[in-house]
Amino acid sequence: MRQFFSFLLFSLLSICVHPRAASASSDYHEQLVLRPLPLSALLASFNFRSNTTLSAFEAHNFRFFPRSLGQILQHAGTRELHLRFSLGRWDAESWGARPWDGAREGGTGVELWAWLDAETDEEADHKWLTLTNALSGLFCASLNFIDSTRTTRPVMSFQPEGDHPNSTETNTHLLYGVLPHEVVCTENLTPFLKLLPCKGKAGIATLLDGHKLFDASWQSMAIDIRPVCPADGECVLEIEQTIDMVLDIERSKRPRGNPIPRPPPGHELKCDTSKPYHADDTCFPADYSANQEWSLSQIFGRTIKGTCPLTDPNTPPVCLQVPESRSVFISNGSLEKKNADGASRCYEIEPEAEFEMILPAPSDAAQTENKAQAELQDLVKPETPLLYAERSFTGHGQERGGVQTILRNPSPDREVEFIYMESLPWFMRIYLHTIEARIEGQSGKQRDSLIQEVYYRPAVDRARGTQLEVRMRVPPASTVFLTYDFEKSILRYTEYPPDANRGFDVAAAVITILNSTDSVSSSSGRSVAYALRTTSLLCSLPTPDFSMPYNVIIFTSTAIALAFGGMFNILVRRFVAADEGPEVSLGGLKGRLMDKLGKLLALFKSKGGGIKKTE
Amino acid sequence: MPRLLSGALRLRRDPRILKLPPYLSVLCILVGVVWLFLLPLDEYSRRTYISENALLPGQVHTYFGGSDQNVFRAYKHEVNALVDKSNIEVNDKLESIVKGLGLKVGRQNFTYHSAGNVYSGENAYAILKAPRGDATEAIVLVAAWKNVKGELNRNGVALLLTLARYFKRWSLWSKDIVFLVTPDSIAGPQAWVDAYHDAHDSARVDSLPLKSGALQGAIAIDYTQESRFESVHVVYDGVNGQLPNLDLINSVVNIAGGQMGMGVAIQEMWRHNNQYPDRLRTMLRGMLKQGLGLASGPHSSFIPYHVDAVTIQPFGEGWQDEMAMGRVVEGTFRSLNNLLEHLHQSFFFYLLMQRERFVSIGTYLPSAMLVAANFTIMAIALWVKSGHQPSEEVSKAVESKTAEENPRNPAVERDLFLPLGFVTGCQFLSVVPLYLFNHAPETILTPLFTVFAVLNMALPHVLSHFLTRYYTPTAQQYQLIRSFSLLLLGMFLSSLATLNFSLALLVGLLTSPLTFMQPWPQSPVMRTACAVLLNAVAPTAVLVASAAYWQLEIGAILREAAFAWDVYDMYSPVVVWCVWWPAWLAGSVTVLGKPAGRRSRLKAKAT
Repeated sequence: MRQFFSFLLFSLLSICVHPRAASASSDYHEQLVLRPLPLSALLASFNFRSNTTLSAFEAHNFRFFPRSLGQILQHAGTRELHLRFSLGRWDAESWGARPWDGAREGGTGVELWAWLDAETDEEADHKWLTLTNALSGLFCASLNFIDSTRTTRPVMSFQPEGDHPNSTETNTHLLYGVLPHEVVCTENLTPFLKLLPCKGKAGIATLLDGHKLFDASWQSMAIDIRPVCPADGECVLEIEQTIDMVLDIERSKRPRGNPIPRPPPGHELKCDTSKPYHADDTCFPADYSANQEWSLSQIFGRTIKGTCPLTDPNTPPVCLQVPESRSVFISNGSLEKKNADGASRCYEIEPEAEFEMILPAPSDAAQTENKAQAELQDLVKPETPLLYAERSFTGHGQERGGVQTILRNPSPDREVEFIYMESLPWFMRIYLHTIEARIEGQSGKQRDSLIQEVYYRPAVDRARGTQLEVRMRVPPASTVFLTYDFEKSILRYTEYPPDANRGFDVAAAVITILNSTDSVSSSSGRSVAYALRTTSLLCSLPTPDFSMPYNVIIFTSTAIALAFGGMFNILVRRFVAADEGPEVSLGGLKGRLMDKLGKLLALFKSKGGGIKKTE
Repeated sequence: MPRLLSGALRLRRDPRILKLPPYLSVLCILVGVVWLFLLPLDEYSRRTYISENALLPGQVHTYFGGSDQNVFRAYKHEVNALVDKSNIEVNDKLESIVKGLGLKVGRQNFTYHSAGNVYSGENAYAILKAPRGDATEAIVLVAAWKNVKGELNRNGVALLLTLARYFKRWSLWSKDIVFLVTPDSIAGPQAWVDAYHDAHDSARVDSLPLKSGALQGAIAIDYTQESRFESVHVVYDGVNGQLPNLDLINSVVNIAGGQMGMGVAIQEMWRHNNQYPDRLRTMLRGMLKQGLGLASGPHSSFIPYHVDAVTIQPFGEGWQDEMAMGRVVEGTFRSLNNLLEHLHQSFFFYLLMQRERFVSIGTYLPSAMLVAANFTIMAIALWVKSGHQPSEEVSKAVESKTAEENPRNPAVERDLFLPLGFVTGCQFLSVVPLYLFNHAPETILTPLFTVFAVLNMALPHVLSHFLTRYYTPTAQQYQLIRSFSLLLLGMFLSSLATLNFSLALLVGLLTSPLTFMQPWPQSPVMRTACAVLLNAVAPTAVLVASAAYWQLEIGAILREAAFAWDVYDMYSPVVVWCVWWPAWLAGSVTVLGKPAGRRSRLKAKAT
């Protein structure tokens, strides 16, 4: 009976769902782009995009749009939301430009920025609080720790990605919060996958395994929600979920049951036999293997289990970016489509079959003299990023410090104009007058010619962090040092975290590169060409030696409390035996009366006693 | 209570109380010295323990070995091929090897000038980025191309390369690992650490092209021995007597001694039976090294920047091979990798007397403080005394009266100008030797020292003659000179004791005769004896004596001191020339002094 019902239910459901799914097939896309990078790394970009019309959204009619998130957005009046979970470092020197031009990544930890509908700043703050707390529960991240000291309102750095009708612009508030110390891990991945229509059960999301994702050299999970208004048609609310990760091929290929990199047996070592001293027991390693063979199941630990039935059939689910000359093996039934540019190819997957892909090592790599060159031939050449940025602390000691950012423009003929944004904790008090930009190799300060605009919102102790936005430019083929000094505050001893001596994380600086001036009129409306984040920093503040004075404080307090308590008791209280004292259990008027009576009696008795004694 | 107060007041007037301080001073010194010798006993020292629980030393399996030995042999061949090459060629080769491993390489030039010599070279270093890290923290592995004795660190550099390749395979690092190869053991690491913290003089030392996060610890490998070794020697003395956190030493001892089963030695005590004499010897060696404040290895330069560091040296003939040494480093790095916070336990002030026994600052500090206090006690006593008329002058006048009615020593006015001027002058004069010995070129250091030593012997006589001739100081003024000089000495030494205990104790003991020096106008024998004694404990004489004892050349010692001053800011010369020497000078002049009677002085003034 039950089986029958469930069958009935299922068939009913499929009747209801199926035609609609077919009609709305373009509402959900997913795609995985794999790109081998130099130094035996592999970039895997997962992209999931779905949308719902604004009217359906407002009518609480969610389809591909995750309901849990949609309700939060509606409750907090959020127009546009960007959430980032990142870990590791992007090695721009060898991997080149960032995926998505840096638009889908954040600094280490968690980053959140959103445009909220609110009449006043206070209302915006209130809604922001609601939003962070709700998201914190949804994503199992400490987003609720984004309080006023970690929230800023960027003026120049962020532009809305979606289309907002002009009427609401004045009531839209941009708030930006960042948690650099948050460790991103599997508990953040699970809710992320739950937002997908296929929940990681089918399609490319089956490859997402916490073990592999968090063993990546760099990874970034992003959620972007924005209203999109196409020129023809209804406005839609689009949610785009992106996971980018760079896997170390050698490390990923290690079997899961034996993750320890034990030294291989001597005969398995790949040696450089050309060395004169080469012998059985002497081996100059040549096994740093660029372009080694890999397959999906080796790298991700599993194969792709079919396609998600809800996805748009016109978008190929897997793409691989390698030169056309390289051969790739794929499982039966899949179709390869080479793109016209010669640097990428995409695969159509059968809906129910498992998909496996093997990229064999290029055959002539071993013979070529120059290993690095051979490696580059067999890869799509990484694009040079528009700007390299590196930030570090200068100085030492517990009182003052400095921050130095080295910005290098690799382009020989193009000037780069960008906005450099720092949101610093309040206990780093920067000296704005020390902010200075100079070009390497040139003496003197070129502050005025390099720094064009500074927006500075000073910190308020324990209430608000420092916000610094600098619009500046780097001339072609030059390196600019941007430096400023700061003073470290002394915290109250209750304000230190349990791991006080670790230091305090300082969030990554956000660098937003603007498109060149000729295309757009005003500086505020200029589109973003590229975004990058520096690494986060660890700022050590003067920390009391909690282990010793702390013990002393606790010990003396305890001793004083004990001694004082005892002394005070002896001085103030009168000690009587239990049967002599007033009965505590009596309550109300009767009790009080009895009490008074007892006292009177006691008074008489004692007088009598006293008289007796004198006699 | 009132009885107690009146008793104290009566005691204050008691003339015997002014006789007490010299005995008190002697007692302080004696107790201080005896205290020191009690420390190695079981009752006063403690067993070491790991205070930072996150370290968990020796709790992990180490896998370095197997075919890594083949790789090590190959790298050893590569290093051997570089033996007679220049610094640049060595770094070129190292760079190509390390780049082949997929690490980022940086190089840094440095040039130091000291005592007319030029110390220059090029550091090469590579950064292994923590696979999932974010460049906030880093640990350093150092192998100097040449160790402190100038021997080639072949195995050390080859081991560093092998470990770099091995560490690259692990994905568990939470901190970046920096592999640093420096041409020498002192100047190179110093230049690198200075530049890492942007504390360098950019005229002498280049900035670093690559940087990582805050340094959390450093291990240096000094592995020159070619044959198999038995034990490892942990060198931990930092610049200016600063020490790394004891937890780091304990971790290395625990990993090498406990996990690897090799012996661990400290302070060049190759055999240690853990009995009183050996413990005392270890402690005294440690104190001497600490007191001198010299850098003892590549790790020393890290310690002033609050980066805990030690050097590990294999020694002895045994059966441990390079892989065992590599596993010690691996184990220590795994421990450091566990650290959640910077090592911060109050474990920076200690004296080790065996690898597993130490005394903490609370136990040993009174020793140096007592020695320093003896000067202060005497200085205060002299100040009080100088405010009263000398007893022999008044004794006749008050013989008939009782002490209670009239104080035996009526108060007199103090002539402060001459004593203050003299002591200040001595202090300022001390800049001369400090400047001379730190800036003279090496060739004239020995003759300069000879000349200075001779002049130094004559100087008190000249000054004393000058003083008696032109100022005819009274006994009171001599007392005040002593008082001020001792006050300064006591003050300097007690504050120094908290920074560098051993140096404070050393200087305190060598200057202790100064407490008891006074003019001997009536007794030329005593005067000569005191002057001879003082000359024997003069800074110059002590330097000559110690050079003779350790069979070193004076020139070499002074060159080292100048190098230390110029390169890593060792402050021991300041203590010797600006604390010890002026006190000695003031003491010597007092001994040779011929105080004029107060009356004669007054007469002279009246006429």
